[in-house]
Amino acid sequence: MNTLPQQLANGLLLGSMYGLIAIGYTMVYGIVQLINFAHGEIFMTGAFGALTVYLYILPDGTNMLVAVPLMLIGGAIVAVLIAVGAERFAYRPLRGAPRLAPLITAIGLSLALQEVVRNFYPGADRARAFPGLDATHDIGSVTIKDADIFLILAAIVCMSGLAWFVRKSRTGRAMQATAQDPDTAQLMGIDTNRIIVVAFAIGGFFAAVAAVAYGLKYGNVDYRMGFLMGLKAFTAAVLGGIGNIYGAMLGGIVLGIAETLASAYIDEIPGMQQLGGQSWANVWAFCLLILVLLFRPQGLLGERVADRA
Amino acid sequence: MTETTTTPPADRAPAPAARGLVPLPPATALPLLLAGGIATAASTFLAWTWTAEFPGDLTVSGYPGGLQWLTFTAGLLTALFALSAYRVRGLRWLTPAGNHAPLLLVAVGGFGTTWYTVLAITIKLGGLANLEPGGFIAAVASLVPLVGALALPAEHRGEDLATALGKRIAKPDRIPAAEATTPWVQRAAITAVAVVGLIVFTYGIDTEYGELFIGYLIVVVFTIWALHTAGLLDRFSQLLAGNRSFALAMGFLAAIAFPFTQTDDHYANIGVNILIFGTVALGLNIVVGLAGLLDLGYVAFLGVGAYTAALVSGSEFSKFSGVQFPFWAAALSGAAASLIFGVLIGAPTLRLRGDYLAIVTLGFGEIFRIAVNNMDGDSGPDITNGPNGIPSIPDLSFLGFNFGEAHDVGGFTLGRFANYYLLMVLIMALVVLVYTRAADSRIGRSWIAIREDETAATAMGINGFRVKLVAFALGASLAGLAGTVSAHVTYSVVPNPYQFAGSTPPNSAFLLAAVVLGGMGTVAGPLLGAALLYLLPEKLVFLQDKSLLAFGVALILLMRFRPEGIIANRRRQLEFHETGQLDVPDTTTLTDEPAVTKAGT
Amino acid sequence: MTTPVLEARDVTMRFGGLTAVRSVDFTVNSGEIVGLIGPNGAGKTTFFNCLTGLYVPTEGTVSYQGTVLPPKPHLVTKAGIARTFQNIRLFANMTVLENVLVGRHTRTKEGLWSALLRGPGFKKAERDSEERAMELLEFIGLAHKRDHLARNLPYGEQRKLEIARALASEPGLLLLDEPTAGMNPQETRTTEELVFAIRDRGVAVLVIEHDMRFIFNLCDRVAVLVQGEKLVEGTSDVVQADERVVAAYLGEPFEGDPSTTKGEVQ
Repeated sequence: MNTLPQQLANGLLLGSMYGLIAIGYTMVYGIVQLINFAHGEIFMTGAFGALTVYLYILPDGTNMLVAVPLMLIGGAIVAVLIAVGAERFAYRPLRGAPRLAPLITAIGLSLALQEVVRNFYPGADRARAFPGLDATHDIGSVTIKDADIFLILAAIVCMSGLAWFVRKSRTGRAMQATAQDPDTAQLMGIDTNRIIVVAFAIGGFFAAVAAVAYGLKYGNVDYRMGFLMGLKAFTAAVLGGIGNIYGAMLGGIVLGIAETLASAYIDEIPGMQQLGGQSWANVWAFCLLILVLLFRPQGLLGERVADRA
Repeated sequence: MTETTTTPPADRAPAPAARGLVPLPPATALPLLLAGGIATAASTFLAWTWTAEFPGDLTVSGYPGGLQWLTFTAGLLTALFALSAYRVRGLRWLTPAGNHAPLLLVAVGGFGTTWYTVLAITIKLGGLANLEPGGFIAAVASLVPLVGALALPAEHRGEDLATALGKRIAKPDRIPAAEATTPWVQRAAITAVAVVGLIVFTYGIDTEYGELFIGYLIVVVFTIWALHTAGLLDRFSQLLAGNRSFALAMGFLAAIAFPFTQTDDHYANIGVNILIFGTVALGLNIVVGLAGLLDLGYVAFLGVGAYTAALVSGSEFSKFSGVQFPFWAAALSGAAASLIFGVLIGAPTLRLRGDYLAIVTLGFGEIFRIAVNNMDGDSGPDITNGPNGIPSIPDLSFLGFNFGEAHDVGGFTLGRFANYYLLMVLIMALVVLVYTRAADSRIGRSWIAIREDETAATAMGINGFRVKLVAFALGASLAGLAGTVSAHVTYSVVPNPYQFAGSTPPNSAFLLAAVVLGGMGTVAGPLLGAALLYLLPEKLVFLQDKSLLAFGVALILLMRFRPEGIIANRRRQLEFHETGQLDVPDTTTLTDEPAVTKAGT
Repeated sequence: MTTPVLEARDVTMRFGGLTAVRSVDFTVNSGEIVGLIGPNGAGKTTFFNCLTGLYVPTEGTVSYQGTVLPPKPHLVTKAGIARTFQNIRLFANMTVLENVLVGRHTRTKEGLWSALLRGPGFKKAERDSEERAMELLEFIGLAHKRDHLARNLPYGEQRKLEIARALASEPGLLLLDEPTAGMNPQETRTTEELVFAIRDRGVAVLVIEHDMRFIFNLCDRVAVLVQGEKLVEGTSDVVQADERVVAAYLGEPFEGDPSTTKGEVQ
């Protein structure tokens, strides 16, 4: 069970989840240079949106093959609406304000979303059960669950879709232009406001996909789940080079694998016997972030941006 | 004064703006205000309800009790302001600008607290039948000044009701300069304000039930708002600027006087917690307000200090239970440990854009809690005793003065929390000193310069990384210092309070909210913010569950509508309101462009 | 009289495959006002950034008074080169006086401890700094506005304040990046006088400009940068007479440059 291939697979799965959430950070950052701290909470609301569909809309005993796509739609609607609403009503009025203002707004939004779910979603002050896809398959020495297959497929489909969208579609190219130089892009007739909304919406959608995968894999969701996942996804985005969508996925996978390996093997290093295990994994992920910032602040795929004096 | 300006404009256009919002002859407005105020105050001498089941015992005729005191105060204030509007000699200073806004606001305050009380009685006891005639009289009496204030002729021409109302409570642009007064008068005024402030603050802390606190808040908020629109707060801050050291000394004295007014150590406990919270918020303000660095894991530095102090406190549950540092050494080691962590976190991140610092400190805050939680010898090294924390931290002892015991000082008994309160006053004074001195110096100017425009600051020869690191490390060590005291005050340290967001202070979100709400870059702002944010959930138990939700929403709304906080720093206010609204996002990638507008030629 | 203050030797700057500046030799002597002109995209800004420590030249060296410049902007300022910005970058929410005091940063050394302890040394340093700053404000004629916020100054005064702030670091060389951008003719004339006055204080000045008339009136020597290379260098008359300069400015790629029309007046 705890062989190296199994650990690598676990890391890859965890990492693709980070990567999906990291897309939201990186796209928004690439276009408006804003770290949307509340993105972790958008991920969380996506999970609760999907759970709502399962609990309150679908009849009991719906086949999961039918239920999962519908839950995905429900989660995506909630997450996208909240992401776009946050942009429209919280962030947009602050464009051009001092840098601290949107950051503080993001903190407030993050707190508010958590608390709304905790206070008003039935039973959400504790972990709530989420339907799992727990059937397992053995591939060689690696065991994976149905939920993992969903996650991997979703990640591949989403990433290819996004790659196509950014490169080929009109809106995608407008996004690239806006990321390069918003002033010029606007002069060229690109509606930057719309581009920003699209970036938030895509981020929300990807977060919802990750959230459904999270629920299916771990079997429960809670109002605090967005905090650490958001933090790690941001780490992934920085690791890959913030602003770069492929970097976000790559960073996610690197972080996932590093974290999994650290929690599995670090206690075999002499002198660090007690620092292994799941509880320390977060600490190692954080140390990785610090190391990256120290030695390669532009990230794995990022380019160093010179200051224009 | 304009109470007789009913002359219509020459063009005989319908001029609703010249009339009040209530169709009464303007000449009746001031008499209504005056009489209503007096009547409101007088009504508190009647019984408002028949049973003492409503807290505060409002059943007695003959003198006010509980919430009635608040109505009494508000009614009296209304009458005073009305007299001042009559230009009664000796009271004119209350409304130097001669505007109507303060009249309306005090009237609303009296109306609000009275009607709140009456409604609370009705709802709590189940029906209007529970009101004695006095209650009805109070309700009617408090409505009279409100009607009077609304009947005052408008000073501006408002287009619709909302703008008309908005203009009625606006502060005038120009406040006439104060007459020259002798230093003695000025000092007497400052002393009086300090005494009144202490009384008001003490009353707030000592409120015993939620209803009283809400009534208190209504009166205080509207009164302060009224004083603000009257221009008195502006005058007072001028006064303070002219007598800085005297004002500081008076503030300090008032703070020291607080425990002597308390008979119950419970309230001193609230006081000491507010002070710890406020001191840490002020430390955070150096980092956020002066240097513009968003530190989201600030409470972790408090935690580092607290744990350090606990470890060397001699507690039998500490890993080093044999070690007992004297307090000065424990305080220094707490500050030093926080300093080390501050440098470790700051050094890699402060070279980068500010956003990175925010997320790294957020991570650090969380990691600190996780690590401390796991270092119990079971799932990690044995240092902090895991989730159980380090209990039984002995009380401080200082030159034979044991902080754990009650002491008699000049006839007053100071309990355990009062002792710690006084210690915290000293530490807060130290932090205030550090803040003000650092802000007004070469290093403080370079912090502000970095915050304003990092590229230009670098071109002026400022080593941005170094001065930011100094600010960050200074903030961290001040938090660590406060942490050492808080460990002793609470007897024990456990991992849980040191998280990003939680329902009780201190946590990083609360601290940030205190700084932002109070006013970034000011001394009084974070202290006021901390007091408010601590007292609200403490006094209003029903709010505790929703307080974080309220904070979240409040932060969003504050950034949108009043980013400079309650107490605006002169610079901040300009910074937030004079920049043009850009529809295009910022184009720069590493630093901000300064918002200099080309004024043209 | 002609000791070199700034010496750029064979400076080349490449970005990937693009060579923005190609083996430029350039000298500013003490007491000189030197102009650097060139059409848009000629590499002026890149060259300027090499002088201020934002870029380290790929090849060649820049030295100030005989020492090679350190590669960090704040160290360059400390060494004695101060600069202004093309788009004014004042500390908008600090007062006029405070802006100049920030300029004194490298010439004072009071750290956090001395600020907290406020010993006699600190007070003396603060007093001295303030005196120097006030003297500079009088020099540029803004002493009466010492407590105004920088953002509230009119445009021309903001430009002046930026110069005062730069002078506060007691430089041996002042770099002015398009000091007359956005100014009307009268303000431009005032700036001209100010630059002469600065030279008289013993500070060498290097001006980058578009406004040719301003440059030719002002400078003892003018260098023309075209496509990353130094085309001509000499007195105003020599440069104005050089047909290659005229060609460079009137050549097709840079026709849209508004300053061209001013440049070829004579």
